Amino acid sequence: MLQFLLDTLARTADLALIALGLSLVYGLAKFPNVAHVQYAMLGAFVAVALQRSGCPLPLAMVASCLAMGCLAVLLHIGVFRRLLRSGPAIAMIGSLALSMIIGALVLGFAGSSPLSYRLPIEAPLSLGEAMLARSQLLSMLTTLVLLVLFAIVLFKTRLGRSMRALACNAPLAAAAGLNADGITYWVNFMSGALAGLGGSLLAMNTSAYTNLGSDLLLPIFAAAILGGLGNPLGAVLGALLIALTETLVTNLNIGWLYGQAMAFIPVGYIGAASFLMLLLALIFRPYGLFDREVRRV
Amino acid sequence: MFEFCLHVLTLACIYGLIALALNLQAGYTGLLNFGHIAFVGIGAYAVGIGHLAGWALLPSLIAGVLAAMALAWLVARLGRNLASDYWGIATLAVAEIVRIIALNQDSLTGGAQGISALPGLFAGASNAHQNLYTTLLLMVLTALFAVLSVRLANSRFGRALRLLREQPQLASCLGYDLLQLKSRALMASAALAALGGALLASYTSYVSADYLLAAQTFLVWSMVMIGGLGSVRGVLLGALLVQCAYSFVPFAKDYLNIGSDVAGALRIGLVGVILLVCLLWRSGGLLPERLRVMP
Repeated sequence: MLQFLLDTLARTADLALIALGLSLVYGLAKFPNVAHVQYAMLGAFVAVALQRSGCPLPLAMVASCLAMGCLAVLLHIGVFRRLLRSGPAIAMIGSLALSMIIGALVLGFAGSSPLSYRLPIEAPLSLGEAMLARSQLLSMLTTLVLLVLFAIVLFKTRLGRSMRALACNAPLAAAAGLNADGITYWVNFMSGALAGLGGSLLAMNTSAYTNLGSDLLLPIFAAAILGGLGNPLGAVLGALLIALTETLVTNLNIGWLYGQAMAFIPVGYIGAASFLMLLLALIFRPYGLFDREVRRV
Repeated sequence: MFEFCLHVLTLACIYGLIALALNLQAGYTGLLNFGHIAFVGIGAYAVGIGHLAGWALLPSLIAGVLAAMALAWLVARLGRNLASDYWGIATLAVAEIVRIIALNQDSLTGGAQGISALPGLFAGASNAHQNLYTTLLLMVLTALFAVLSVRLANSRFGRALRLLREQPQLASCLGYDLLQLKSRALMASAALAALGGALLASYTSYVSADYLLAAQTFLVWSMVMIGGLGSVRGVLLGALLVQCAYSFVPFAKDYLNIGSDVAGALRIGLVGVILLVCLLWRSGGLLPERLRVMP
């Protein structure tokens, strides 16, 4: 049972930061940015490349995090701001083109074989019967600290208040004298930085590989939609729910269906679980589980 | 060289059919379907599974078209009360589920190996003629469906679809049942896409779950967007251009002596860059849709 809980939390930590960033940008720009998962992939590659070339691990992660933040701001200024003038659908297709380009660049420069950090091999921690890798513990703690920091920024600071005001009612916020452009840059920076950090933490447990982005795409979108796109902390709960589903499906013993002691759902179908959750969420709660205010038709 | 040109032309025709099908949804009706490839895959797998079961090409093709239309009906129901971008993500998930099923049902679909050695369209003819006949047949088919597509756009149904795209509330005021319009457009498009998929499978003699990757949908999308959303001539031009860019890469690979990873990256990156440039500077595409504007 403890193992089950730890597995769920580890997967949540993998998804939460990236889903949070996606939801954050959706709240302001009102389009689902498909390229967001590619920031995570790129962040993973940057951090791994830095660490392998001799940089200490925390520094490599911070550097990749800042780089992804700047990249997100630059792409917002150069690409998305222009595309958004033609409407959210065009912006979404543009983000798709951008994610193809980022994927191609990484494939071209880094090759298709996965890269991982040069870390010493350590025995996993054992808590009673359950096992937990040190890297998983580290990524869980980092995620937790960042989530708390983010919540403080969002609910206790002036910047957070302006962000919420702008997401809720942009014309009113502009009328009240908020600098919409500046806040949008900050939000893009934060979302890119969170995605880069999420990706570099993710690479610690597996490795950095070129399909990381497309593998993340649907679980991340499922988490963000479950939480209600535009509701950043909802996305974290959405990530928890997706992680719970995936872990549950992996560990579900369906032997009683076949009259055997042990039977599990084939590994290949586990990915389908989160897509199914996404479809169910879209059918029954299209505005997210915690929808209160923002509603679109 | 002639053979190679025939090959590029054939593939451009097949993808032209698939892109025309997407144009029915995305161009005329304004539906953001990112799971279009699921219909293509169903058509392709129908040919493969039919071959394993000993069926002739035509009955398995018809079965594939019917299966794709059934899926389209379901997908249209799914969009009953979703905003268009949410619906787009839902279709992406549907296509991914279809792909995972195809990848894991080994007994039916051959799993990751796929089904190979499918019979060609003109299995009776000699090798040299076979390709020529296939190309000619596909060009005739593409022309036929292009004409049908134009006629559909000018018919009452096509006008209703464009009204639904531009002014959904006005369309429902005029008494159109929006859900029914959407599902009819989607089912027509699915039938055409499944036909394209079946032709693709029998032309390449092979079908596997790789045909169903999300990247394939994005490829078809870039054809439609580069050519011009909603314009039949534009979509066909886009399919030809993207296919040419794709076929040019192997030459570049030999000429510049680059590795296969870089060549793969060049393919995806080239299409991505063309698409992005088109969106930024010519968001209507190379041959944009011409709408009749009332003065």
